[in-house]
Amino acid sequence: MHIPDGFLSPQTYLPAYAVAAGAWTWAARGLRERLDETTVPRLAMLTALAYGLGLVMVPLPGGTSGHALGVALLALIFGVRSAFLAYSLVLLLQSLLFGAGGITALPVNALAMGLVGGFAAVTAKRLLTPINETAAVAGAAWLSVVLPGVVVALVLGIQPAIAHKPDGTPLFFPFGLEITLPAVLLPHLLIGIGEAVLTVLVWRYARSRKWV
Amino acid sequence: MGVSAQTWLVAYGAALVAVTFIHQPTALAALLALTVAAAGPQRWRLLKKTLLAVLAFSLMVSVGYVIVSLWRGHLDPDYLLLANLRVLLMVFLGFWFVARVDVLAALAGWPTLRLVATLALGQIRTFERIVADFRLAFESRNIARPHLTARARNAAAQGIALMDKSVASATESTLAMKSRGAFDA
Repeated sequence: MHIPDGFLSPQTYLPAYAVAAGAWTWAARGLRERLDETTVPRLAMLTALAYGLGLVMVPLPGGTSGHALGVALLALIFGVRSAFLAYSLVLLLQSLLFGAGGITALPVNALAMGLVGGFAAVTAKRLLTPINETAAVAGAAWLSVVLPGVVVALVLGIQPAIAHKPDGTPLFFPFGLEITLPAVLLPHLLIGIGEAVLTVLVWRYARSRKWV
Repeated sequence: MGVSAQTWLVAYGAALVAVTFIHQPTALAALLALTVAAAGPQRWRLLKKTLLAVLAFSLMVSVGYVIVSLWRGHLDPDYLLLANLRVLLMVFLGFWFVARVDVLAALAGWPTLRLVATLALGQIRTFERIVADFRLAFESRNIARPHLTARARNAAAQGIALMDKSVASATESTLAMKSRGAFDA
């Protein structure tokens, strides 16, 4: 799902940086108080897990790439704010160390996967827990993959409309919404199922260790 | 006096932004050649790493663009050059930056981010080591390729060990950092 460097126009990533800066400030507020010698190792471990999951990616024709996120786990265990920060760090490291994603694309990737994904997971879990906890965790993980997929597809799909030559030739990502939406979304409906299975397994591990 | 890691970070960010305002393939090609030349003795290793990193994605986009353009009856080869050169240059700049600068030192302005980044990088190394250990141990115990059930059992055991060892190692690092004042306000 990562958008790489070079496919987003400055008209997109510069405002996105402004929005992300606000979101990062909000998320970082009180972080020091939330972190201690018990939570930091767990956060570091799940951040590293999310990092590993995000690197197992399949290129999607007409989209970007498909992969699991691990953001639902971070959000369900540590809350949306810490998950958003941790996932932003994951994206930064993946971008610098592996060229997966990018620095100009970082705010869009972070807002989509870290913030929207985290919010989607926590909201779905809250709504579904009265029915069944396992289903709630699975549903939360599935939604945390699918909703960011929609956001990424929308951002990519508007690029030809907002940045093109006078003759209409695109300057950045070349495909419109009619291609990006199905190309990104359909595979992620399936990837979300894998993410759900994995999240339930790690959630049970976290329960057995009394983290949640 | 050498250039600080944070100055390199700012220069890297500024270069990336500047590249996205250039829309002439010839200018991007010249910049790429200049950057590769400036990267010094590690240039070919970095270029190979860059090509491998962008290959799958750029190929998908390029082939997709050609197919869609031919179907619509208008193909602009300049776009292919522009998009691929831009992606190549930006990713190369990133790898060059990481090869030249200590990323953790560049994050010195954000102590909390640096703290979590240090731990996360430590965890990534721990993960890599444990996965390699488990794979080698599993292979050494099986002469022939094991049954799917055995592989699944091994994967499950590996997953649990991975998380337990990772948390134990991160706890150790955290306590060491705490004793050095990393959690002090």
